[in-house]
Amino acid sequence: MSRILITVPPLTGHLNPALAVAEALAGRGHTLAWAVHAQQIGNALPAGARVYPLDAQVAAQDAALPPARGLESVRLFFEDYTFPMARAALAPLEEAVRAFRPDVMVVDHQQPAGALVARKLGLPWVSLVTTTASIQKGSPTIDAWVADGFAELQRAYLPPELIVERPDFSPYQMIVFSIRALAGSERALVDAPYYFVGAAHAEFRRWIEFPWGWLDHEQRLLLVTLGTISRDRDTRFFEIMMQALDGMAGVQAVMVAPTALAARAPANVLVREMVPQLKLLEVAAGVICHAGHNTVCESLTRGLPMIVAPVRDDQPIIARQVIDAGAGLFMRYGKVTPATARATIEKMLSMPELAENAKFLGKALRAAPGAAGAAAEIASLAGSGLRAA
Amino acid sequence: MNEAILAALISTIRKTVAEDWIEDFPITAATRFHDDLELESIEFIKIADALQSYFGAQLDITEFLSGKTIADLIALNVGDIANFISGAMLEPGLQLA
Repeated sequence: MSRILITVPPLTGHLNPALAVAEALAGRGHTLAWAVHAQQIGNALPAGARVYPLDAQVAAQDAALPPARGLESVRLFFEDYTFPMARAALAPLEEAVRAFRPDVMVVDHQQPAGALVARKLGLPWVSLVTTTASIQKGSPTIDAWVADGFAELQRAYLPPELIVERPDFSPYQMIVFSIRALAGSERALVDAPYYFVGAAHAEFRRWIEFPWGWLDHEQRLLLVTLGTISRDRDTRFFEIMMQALDGMAGVQAVMVAPTALAARAPANVLVREMVPQLKLLEVAAGVICHAGHNTVCESLTRGLPMIVAPVRDDQPIIARQVIDAGAGLFMRYGKVTPATARATIEKMLSMPELAENAKFLGKALRAAPGAAGAAAEIASLAGSGLRAA
Repeated sequence: MNEAILAALISTIRKTVAEDWIEDFPITAATRFHDDLELESIEFIKIADALQSYFGAQLDITEFLSGKTIADLIALNVGDIANFISGAMLEPGLQLA
């Protein structure tokens, strides 16, 4: 059995698939350790987990980034979050690896410190990639800017002969929590060994109360959600959706939004701050969302067509992938009017081909190897005794 | 700034986006493509293609953009593109269609 060190940034969307893979690895009898920002996510780790904290010397930082949309949010994410966090994590992470002596490292793609430590110490490592946006080649300007950031990060830590253009891409295995069909076969990907495993669900979502009696099964149900992370959300988008849905025949909507909006909701819209999303998707006819990768994969897994209104980060790229796959329609988040929203919703519900394409992708997602497949790959790399000289 | 080029550019943006809100949305040289118009990169390419056929000139927008930094791209406004077109028009052998 092997010793496996897992390192992920303190972000729920990155931790969750890693937890699912860890569960599968533990089930195969491997010895695991986590190198993480324990003050922020230590509580979410399995009971008794062996933890090497990356933030023992520093106070817990608020991970909240200032409100920003589009490309500016991507710039902030790298320059103000990922790179500074990587610089601070290098020393404690190297110490953790020297103490635990893993056979293989499992490194989230947004945790480049893990990739650099593995490279320095000559350990085999796999990347966990939580979105098909980050493996797609970008525009020359963006790709050059990312490469510059990685070059600077590496120069301060690695000897010159170990510096590469994209240290965040594992030369051993890139485990992607999605499917190739969503990335789009016509799109160029960064050259790396990919293994698409589909969505990895950790089976521990807690029970969330929901008034199931409100749903009228004679009507078509829409789920409206901008994800669980509600940073920089004003309520404009939700208010436009309520106006668009008001009086729409044969349609009900559950909207994940601040309950303060409930008083103004039309009769066919239910506003809840938290919902049992997977259960609602089982009975929904369509989804209006921000094109967050998790919501997109969960919706596609159930064959649901989508309206995508991307806001920030990688959402515009994921939204484009959904549209190009023929499974969704675009909505401009900050500009959409009630009339356009209404027309777009009616269009989604009257285009069966959207649902057909979503079902096609859903079939591929359900057939993908998942967390168990990812664990088998990692175990095989760990057992191969493969080590750089 | 060449006002005719600016006017043609603004009209092209309205036609390409083709949504109700943009009909009355004020667009000037200072309007930013990202933050103010929320344009998708695919729409930006469509606008560039439309401008190329409108002006009948070789407008290498891709090359123009590849010389930009990420901060330039984030701040890119309508005036930047109007100036780029004006500059391209001054090159020998090119003129307004």
